[in-house]
Amino acid sequence: MSTEKLKILVLDDEPIVCKRLAPALEKLGFEVDTFTQSLEALHQIQETNYDIIITDLKMKGVDGMRFLQEAKTKNPATEVIVITGFATLETAKESFQKGVFDFIAKPFKLSEIQEVVTKVAAKIRGAKA
Amino acid sequence: MADWLKPFKDFWERLRGAKAEATPFPEIFDQFQALLQDHQRVMELIADLGEKSGGEYIFDRKYLVDITNDLHTLLLHLVNSLNLIAGKRYMDLYATLDRVFLPLEAELRGRLSLSEEMPLAVPLSALPLDHPELTGGKANTLGRIIQSLKLPVPDGFVITTRANRRFLETNRLEERLHAWLESWAAGEMDEEQTARQIQYSILAGLLPRGVLHEIKQRAVPEGTAWAVRSSAYGEDGELTFAGLHETRLNVPPSKIPSACKEVLASLYSPAALSYRKEMGLVGEEAAMAVLCQETIDSRAAGVIHTLDLSDPTGNSLVIYASLGWGRTVVGGDSADRYVVEKDPPHRVKNMEVAAKERMFRPKSGGGEEEVPVPADLARQPALELEAIDTLVKWALSLERYFKRPQEIEWAQAQDGSLWLLQSRFMNIPRMELPREQDIYEVTSHYPVKIAGRGTVAHAGVGAGPVYQVYSDASLNRFPEGSVLVIRYTAPWLTPIVPKAAAIIAERGSAAGHLATIAREFRVPTLVGVEGASDLLKDGTMVTVDTKQRIIYEGRVKELLRYELVAAPAFEEAPEFRQLRRVLKRIAPLNLIDPAAPEFTPQGCQSVHDIIRFIHEKAVEELMDLPRFMKRFKGIKVWSLTSEVPIGLKILDLGGGIDPGAQGTKILAENITSLPLKALWSGVAAPGVWSTEPVPVDFKGMMSSLTKTRAEAPGSTTYAGFNLAVISDIYMNLHLRLGYHLNLIDARMHPEAQHNHIYFRFVGGVTDMTRRSRRAHLLAQILSKYQFKVDVKGDLVVARVLHLPQEEMAERLEVLGELIGFTRQLDIQLKTDEDIPQFLESFFQQHSPADKSPSL
Repeated sequence: MSTEKLKILVLDDEPIVCKRLAPALEKLGFEVDTFTQSLEALHQIQETNYDIIITDLKMKGVDGMRFLQEAKTKNPATEVIVITGFATLETAKESFQKGVFDFIAKPFKLSEIQEVVTKVAAKIRGAKA
Repeated sequence: MADWLKPFKDFWERLRGAKAEATPFPEIFDQFQALLQDHQRVMELIADLGEKSGGEYIFDRKYLVDITNDLHTLLLHLVNSLNLIAGKRYMDLYATLDRVFLPLEAELRGRLSLSEEMPLAVPLSALPLDHPELTGGKANTLGRIIQSLKLPVPDGFVITTRANRRFLETNRLEERLHAWLESWAAGEMDEEQTARQIQYSILAGLLPRGVLHEIKQRAVPEGTAWAVRSSAYGEDGELTFAGLHETRLNVPPSKIPSACKEVLASLYSPAALSYRKEMGLVGEEAAMAVLCQETIDSRAAGVIHTLDLSDPTGNSLVIYASLGWGRTVVGGDSADRYVVEKDPPHRVKNMEVAAKERMFRPKSGGGEEEVPVPADLARQPALELEAIDTLVKWALSLERYFKRPQEIEWAQAQDGSLWLLQSRFMNIPRMELPREQDIYEVTSHYPVKIAGRGTVAHAGVGAGPVYQVYSDASLNRFPEGSVLVIRYTAPWLTPIVPKAAAIIAERGSAAGHLATIAREFRVPTLVGVEGASDLLKDGTMVTVDTKQRIIYEGRVKELLRYELVAAPAFEEAPEFRQLRRVLKRIAPLNLIDPAAPEFTPQGCQSVHDIIRFIHEKAVEELMDLPRFMKRFKGIKVWSLTSEVPIGLKILDLGGGIDPGAQGTKILAENITSLPLKALWSGVAAPGVWSTEPVPVDFKGMMSSLTKTRAEAPGSTTYAGFNLAVISDIYMNLHLRLGYHLNLIDARMHPEAQHNHIYFRFVGGVTDMTRRSRRAHLLAQILSKYQFKVDVKGDLVVARVLHLPQEEMAERLEVLGELIGFTRQLDIQLKTDEDIPQFLESFFQQHSPADKSPSL
């Protein structure tokens, strides 16, 4: 694998999600930043280019759908994975229309998201090569 | 009532309007099937919740709320169905639902902590572990050490934070305290002044009568000496208040109340106040509990660090020891220092014996006194090698359980016995640790034995030599700290779970019994790892990372250290604590014996109890065939014609009998219900059903002669009928053979996670001793087949879950054979010595599902 680490941003207003995801993804060789406030995350994506964004949909302030839209506008190469406890067919459809890579319903297994992230990482590396 | 409950209420109102007798059979029939399905769904949701507590899932509060609502809905359905089937004879269950669900929902809204239902004092041995806010951090840790790790901790009790709050209320201290703290925070008063005023008013306060009563009840006998210390919420957890709060040693029972107040007052000492300010806790309510334990008159005492701060990358721990009470070590006097390797055989790498000058010991009449160390002892090691060995084992199991380097206080009594006094997270200065390595980079250089296989039952990392277990014999030899590798997750493995560094099983589910036990002891566990026992040879050193589902060859020391000091221990996260509290109101099964007096709607304590009760009663309604057939003339009941003279009636819910069958009589080959077919092949196997009467000896004969039918359990309910209610994949069977009553409830779905066998066996013709002898024999046989078995007198209840269809079939066949085998067994089993012989003869004919049938 290349020495350049891929950068991941995790946004979820439940701290437990960030706390559990960060070490699980770091162990897979990613650099991980986590946010529980969507506004802060919004500022952060202006400063840093992330390869992968993992975001919740329903949050106070800026909601996930708008956040991912902003992220995609800022950097179209960013791949987005949506995690949500309010999974409906409509939100899934809307997410995919907005160019989301995958859509995972909460609760989910760590191994499940690890697999999806590995898959999207392979895609990104393929595109970079 | 919540909106979503309305449809059920409406449904129920309609139901109430109708006369029970008027409910036509097809509707009863549908209700029964719906009831079975709802029951199954509830069991699956309970299993689902249990799985979530293993750390593999990421869930949030919404999940807990959703699943609780789902359970409530399903339970209402179930209660409605039962009342429909049973003619509204179980209306009490609605009150039961409220009793179980209202606190559950309050818990989820976070409104339950410190409510009136919480006690003023609790014994250490029965602490509610998922309520650290009630007993404080220090006591909570000790409760875990006693209940989960079973290490010797001096006995005692905790005066809870609720008692503390009541103390403040009765003395009208709350507001005054608040005002003083505020003016201190605003800079109007200094620390000393604030502390003095608060402490004075606490010491002048009166303990409420209820609290005094609790202390008097628990601090017995007169003449014992007690250690009274603080257990603040947050203490010994992420924040350490070590040494800031008072500890009173050698306190006689009559002085405990005043010692308590002194400890409470120490929460507001100038040092404690400034510490709280520094940690940003001033606004937080200080919740303090008081821990009272019997004092150990120690000949030696000290501290263990499971991480050697002078060599953090080395794999060693350090034991400090001194003479007398431990405060010389804690206080920083010179002490013996033993550096011991954490890997077996735990070699003592380095030993420095200190010149000990003074020691503390109990003063007669209470308190302590300082005395010089006798000259002949001053330069002797305070500990012998054997004691060191025990302390090392304790330290390692504490670190494995709490998943953080530990600072442990211990004591050795005058009689040489060792005691554990406290354990807390070690405070590790950042600079002591080497620069954090890139964990991915480091681990990628280690050879991988197995990756990406199996299901996570408990998330974590553990390392040790592989040890495979096949039978109870190798169970006793299991070396502490090894990695347990097994084919099946059988309940008889329970005793070694706390000793294992990790567990890998080829079979089993994350919702099974062993998985539950592994979670209780926080042992990293993977189940369903195909080929594990071939790939992992005995003695091979491995590191198991169940968070990534990777098993490395060798000891990945960087990963182990990363987990210990860098990764958060999910078990301590508030979400997981809440999940465990919710689970406690849902999952435990307390109603085991349907003949017990508490088998009533009022006796149900958990969701599991309620559905157990409903299922039992619904089946009982159907099993009451004479009444049932009177109620529903014309329903089809099949009779089984067989060489085995059981006279079985069969009620088919669908797909259980060959559609080509004619009339009312069928043969065994017409059965298409998978569970009944499997069971019957066991019952009808050659040699199983011996119809010759077994010679009854005099004692057995007398007992059977004097026994009236009414004495046989369940005789009024199921009299005269053997009935199976079946579908293509389901069977509920009641068999009365002589005085034995067998009940089997089984499901054989194509997907293993939907499957179960529940087996109940009770009664017999002889005296109770013989009947319970037979019960123990059955228990031994069934546990060989991975059943979880409970025995109560002559009642045997056995359960096995989540095995694939063919393995369920195997076990049903064995049950069929057992029914034949044990039919008159209690007459043949004359003494306990007869048991091994019978076991042997059974296993000669049948080899248990595990590799080796040896006992």
